[in-house]
Amino acid sequence: MSTTSQFKGYTTDNFFDEMFYDGKKLQARAHYEKIFQRIEHLTETEISDRRQQADSSFLEHGITFTVYGDEGGTERIFPFDLIPRVIPDSEWRIVEDGLRQRIIALNLFLNDIYHGRKILKDGIIPEEIVNSSKNFRPEMVGFDPPQGVYAHICGTDLIRDDQGSYLVLEDNARCPSGASYLLENREIMKRAFPQTFGGLSVRAVEAYPDLLLQTLEYLSPRKSQKPVCVLLTPGVYNSAYFEHTFLARQMGIEIVEGKDLIAIDSCIYMRTTRGLVQVDVIYRRLDDDFLDPLVFREESMLGVSGLMDAYLKGNVALANAVGTGVADDKVTYAYVPDMIKYYLDQEPILSNVPTYLCWRDSDRAHVLENLDNLVVKAANESGGYGMLIGNQSTVKEREEFARLIKAHPREYIAQPIVSLSRHPTFCEDGIAGRHVDLRPFILYGEDVEIVPGGLTRVALKKGSLVVNSSQGGGSKDTWVLRDF
Amino acid sequence: MLSRVADNLYWMSRYIERAEGMARMIQVHQSQALEYAQNDDQLEEFWQPVLQSICAENVHPFEDGVRKIGKTLIFSSSYENSIQSCISLARENARMVRDQLSEELWLELNNIFLFFRNGDAEDIYNQGSDLLLDRISRFSLIFQGLADATIPHAEGWRFHSLGKYLERADQTSRMLDTLNLRKKEASRADLMSVLRCCIALSAFRQQFRGNLSLQNVGSFLLFSEDFPRSIRFCVRAIDHSLHAISGVPAGTFSNEAERLTGSTLAMVNFTNWNQVDSKGLHKTLDELQATLIDIGQRVFETYVLLPSEIKSLGEKSSTQFSQAQQQQ
Amino acid sequence: MRLYVFHRTSYRYPSPVKHSFNELRLYPLSNDWQKCISTTLSILPICRPQSYLDLNGNIVHFFELPDEHQQLVIEARSVIETRSRVDFENFPYGVTLSKLSKMEGVPEYRDYLQSSTYVEINPEVWRMAVDLLSGSTDVFQTAYQVMEFIYQNFEYCKSTTTVDTHANEVLRIRRGVCQDFAHAALALCRCLGIPARYVSGYFFDSTRDRRMRGAEASHAWIEVMVSGHGWFGLDPTNNRVVDDTYVTLGTGRDYRDVAPVTGSYYGPRPNELEVTVRIKRTDD
Repeated sequence: MSTTSQFKGYTTDNFFDEMFYDGKKLQARAHYEKIFQRIEHLTETEISDRRQQADSSFLEHGITFTVYGDEGGTERIFPFDLIPRVIPDSEWRIVEDGLRQRIIALNLFLNDIYHGRKILKDGIIPEEIVNSSKNFRPEMVGFDPPQGVYAHICGTDLIRDDQGSYLVLEDNARCPSGASYLLENREIMKRAFPQTFGGLSVRAVEAYPDLLLQTLEYLSPRKSQKPVCVLLTPGVYNSAYFEHTFLARQMGIEIVEGKDLIAIDSCIYMRTTRGLVQVDVIYRRLDDDFLDPLVFREESMLGVSGLMDAYLKGNVALANAVGTGVADDKVTYAYVPDMIKYYLDQEPILSNVPTYLCWRDSDRAHVLENLDNLVVKAANESGGYGMLIGNQSTVKEREEFARLIKAHPREYIAQPIVSLSRHPTFCEDGIAGRHVDLRPFILYGEDVEIVPGGLTRVALKKGSLVVNSSQGGGSKDTWVLRDF
Repeated sequence: MLSRVADNLYWMSRYIERAEGMARMIQVHQSQALEYAQNDDQLEEFWQPVLQSICAENVHPFEDGVRKIGKTLIFSSSYENSIQSCISLARENARMVRDQLSEELWLELNNIFLFFRNGDAEDIYNQGSDLLLDRISRFSLIFQGLADATIPHAEGWRFHSLGKYLERADQTSRMLDTLNLRKKEASRADLMSVLRCCIALSAFRQQFRGNLSLQNVGSFLLFSEDFPRSIRFCVRAIDHSLHAISGVPAGTFSNEAERLTGSTLAMVNFTNWNQVDSKGLHKTLDELQATLIDIGQRVFETYVLLPSEIKSLGEKSSTQFSQAQQQQ
Repeated sequence: MRLYVFHRTSYRYPSPVKHSFNELRLYPLSNDWQKCISTTLSILPICRPQSYLDLNGNIVHFFELPDEHQQLVIEARSVIETRSRVDFENFPYGVTLSKLSKMEGVPEYRDYLQSSTYVEINPEVWRMAVDLLSGSTDVFQTAYQVMEFIYQNFEYCKSTTTVDTHANEVLRIRRGVCQDFAHAALALCRCLGIPARYVSGYFFDSTRDRRMRGAEASHAWIEVMVSGHGWFGLDPTNNRVVDDTYVTLGTGRDYRDVAPVTGSYYGPRPNELEVTVRIKRTDD
C-alpha cells in the first residue's frame, strides 16, 4: 500500500516549527514522531470523516461562540484542527513553574496597589500607571478580598519565538475564556485518534472543573456549611455563553443571570422556586463595569444592584476579585518582570515580549518612527480588538494609529513583531504551517493549580498572527506527554 | 431550582407542544381543504375560522396567497406562533437551561433547530408538505418521550409537564372551538378534522363506534377520563404537577394557580354535555381558555417573580430567611 | 521523584501588631539527593524578603513589617527532584561504635555530639541509651535500634507537647509529635557518641492508605553520621530509613536551628495560627 504523504509539499519557511526540527527533510521532533506517522498516512476520506465528525459534534452539542458586530449567523463553531499540539513534560514543567511565579507576583502586585502601594513608593512602577489605569477600582482600596487573592482564574497567553523560547504575550486576569474548549477538544481527539492517543502517555486535563470548584469553595465566607457557588453569566447572547453552561454543568453549580440574584441586607440571594437561597461565592463571567449598576455602569442590566456592598462587607466572594483589570493592562504587563524581582526576589522564569510604552517620550518616538515593524496594541482591549500589525497594515491604518498614539499615549503599547512558532494544520490545500499560541489556565485557590497544557489557538489565515476566535482563529488540542 | 430556570423549562415545553399542535392542525386542514375548496375565495372562507381559533387572523397569513397559507404558518418569521418561531423560541429557552437538560434532549431539539435554520426544512417542504409536518410531529413526540425518559422527574420536570399540559389543553380547546366558528353547522368532515388534529380518531372510534356527532366529539375531547389530549386529562395533569411542585396535598390549595386548577378540574369532572350545550360550547371554551391563561399567569407569579416585585417584598423575605436559619 | 510542596503559615492577631521581624527557612536545599527546581515565597502584607546562608548552610529569608497589621500569611511553593539516598539491600553496616571516638575531635561533627537547646547529654539519657544497645557494636544498627525503640515505645499524639518541649521531657512522658521524636532520638544517639543532627522538611506519603504520620505537615527527622558512608536519615515517627519521599529544608543541632518560621513583633499573641502543608508527586 502506498499513499502519498499528507505532508507532501509542507515547508517550514524558516519559522520555528513545533513539529519539525528540520524543515528540508521534514524530520519530526521525537515527541511528535507518533503523531507525524499517524497523520502522514491518513487517506483523504479518513481525514474528511474525522473532520466532519468533529465539526458536527461541535455544532450538535451547541459548542458555539457569538461574534459581536456580525449580523449573519450569530452563533459559530470555533474551528477545530485535528493535528494536536504536543509539548514534552520536561518543557511543560518549566512553563508551569514560570506561570506559577507570575500569578503569585501579579496577585502580590494587586494586593500592594490596593493597600500600601510599596512598589509604587519605591519607584519600581510609576504611580501614574496605576492611577490612570481604566481598570483601577478605587472601591477596592483597603479591602481584603477573601483569602487575600485577587486573580483566581487567569489565562496567560504564551507564544514561542523563532528560537522556540516561550514568551508571555499577555495575562488575562479578568474573565479569561476558553477552558471549555480545552476540555471538549480533548474529548473529540480521544474519539478521532483513540489508538494514537492511547499509545502516548498524555497528561489528563479533565480535573479542571473539579479544581475550579475547589478554588471557588475555598473562598466561601460561611465556613460552617457547604458553600453555595454560582456562575454569573451576562446571558445567552454572550459570546462565551456555551462555556458558561458547560462549566456550570461540569461543576454542578447553578448558572445565574443578574436578574436571578438579589441583594438583601448586604447578602446576596438567588431566587428559586423554593424562595431565596443565600449565595456564598460568585464565579462571575461579567466585567467589573457591569457587576453592580449602583456602583459601576448605571445602565447595566446584567448586574445585581447591591452586589458591591455585599462583597465589600465580606458576605459574598467574587472570583475574580473586582479590580484585577489593572494586572492585565498591557502597560502593567511591561512591569511584570520587575514585580517578580521586587516581590519574590527572583528572576522571571518566563520572559516578556519586549514592550515599548507609548507614554514614555523616548519609546513613543521610536514607535512612531517604526510603525511598520511593530505590533501596536490598545492597553485595555482584549480579544484581538484595537490592534495594528505594522507589516500587514496599510499606510492609512498606520496614520490612524499614529494619530491615536499621539492623542492617547497611555492607551497604547508596541512590541516587535515576533515570528510566532508555526504548527502543521489542515488547510484548504492540505497541511500547511500556521501560527499558534498557547493559553494555559491557572487557578489560584488554596494553592496554584495549572492543568497540563492549555488551549492552543491557531491563526487559520495564511500568514496571520491573530489567533483570537473572534478574528478567524481556531483551536487545537494540546498534549503534554509524560514520557518526554 | 432557580425561578428563571423553571420558567425556561415551562416555556421550552410549551413551545414544542405548540409546534406539534400547529403542525398537525396545518396538515389536517390542508388535506381537508383539498376536497372542500375549489377556488381561492372558498379556501379563504375555509381557513378563516381555523385562523380565528388560533388567534392568527391578524397576522396576514394570506400575504403570500391563500394557497401558501401552510408555508406561511410554518416558516413566517413575523408570526410569533409559526412552527419555526416556536422551535427557535423553544431552543432559546433550552439554551438558557442547557445544564438542566439531558444531552439526548438537547441534541434532538438542536437538530430540528439546525434543520430549519440551514434550509433543509424548506427543501423538504417543497418536496411535499406532509414529509415535513410528519417530521415535526414526530420530533415533538420523541422530545416529550425523551423528557420523560432521560431527565429526573424532579421539580424541573414538573414545570416541563406543566407547560406541556397547559399548552395541550389550550390546543384541544381551540381545535374544538373551530366547530363553533364555522358559518355552517359542523359537517362530518369538520368533526373528523378536529379529531385528527387531536390524534383522537381511533380512540374516539373505540368509545363511540363511529357515532360521529358534535355531542359525542365534544364530550370526548372535553371529558374523556383517559384520553391524553382531553381537557379533563390535561387539567388533571396540571393539577398533579402543581401539587407535586408545592408539596401540598391534592384537593387543597396553597396558591391561586392551584385553586383555579382545582375548580376547573371540578368543572370538567362534574359537568356533562347538556350543561355545556345549554351554556353554549363557544362560551364554555372561551371561559376555559381564559382560565388556562390565568393559571399560567398565576404560576408565573407564584414561582417566577420579577426582581422589582421581590424588592417590595424584600423585608418580608429576609425575616422569613432568618427564621429558617434558627431551626438549624 | 518529582515533588511539589505547598506550605502556608497564617497568623491572625486579635489587635494590630507592628515591628514584626521574621526569619524563614522554607527553601529546600540542593544537595546530592535532592535538587530544588524552584521555590517561590509570597508574603502578605506586602514586603521584600532578603536572604542569607546560615552557619549550617541553610537558606534563610528574612523580612520586616514595620507597619501595623492584623494578619500575616507566608506561602512557600517548591518543586523538588529527589533521588533515593540509600540502597535498601545494602545498609552501611560494619562501622563499629569504637571508631566513633575519633570523630569527637573533628570540628565538623563536634556540634552534633554535644548538648544543644532542646537536647541534653546527661547520665540518665546515657543509661537509657546503653540499655537499648543490647550488645550492638555497629553504628548504623544502633541508630536503627534507637529509631525502632522510639517508634515502638513512644505514643504519637498531638497537643500534649509544645514547640518548646525539651528532649528530657519527651523521654520521660514518651509522647509527642515528630519534632519531639527527633529530639529524643538525637539525645540517645549523641549519648552513644553517634553524631546526629536534626532535619526539617517534608515527607510524601506514598502508601496507598495514607497511614504515615506527618505527611500533611512540616515534618522532622534525624540524620546520623556513619563514617565513610556519610549522613543517613532515620525517621523515628514512621520507623523508616529516609528515602526519596523525603524533602530536606535544612539541618541543624535541633529545632531551634531550622525552625521553618520564627519571628518577633510588638503586640498581642496570635489568636489563630494555621499551618497547611500539601505535598504532591508530579511525575506519575
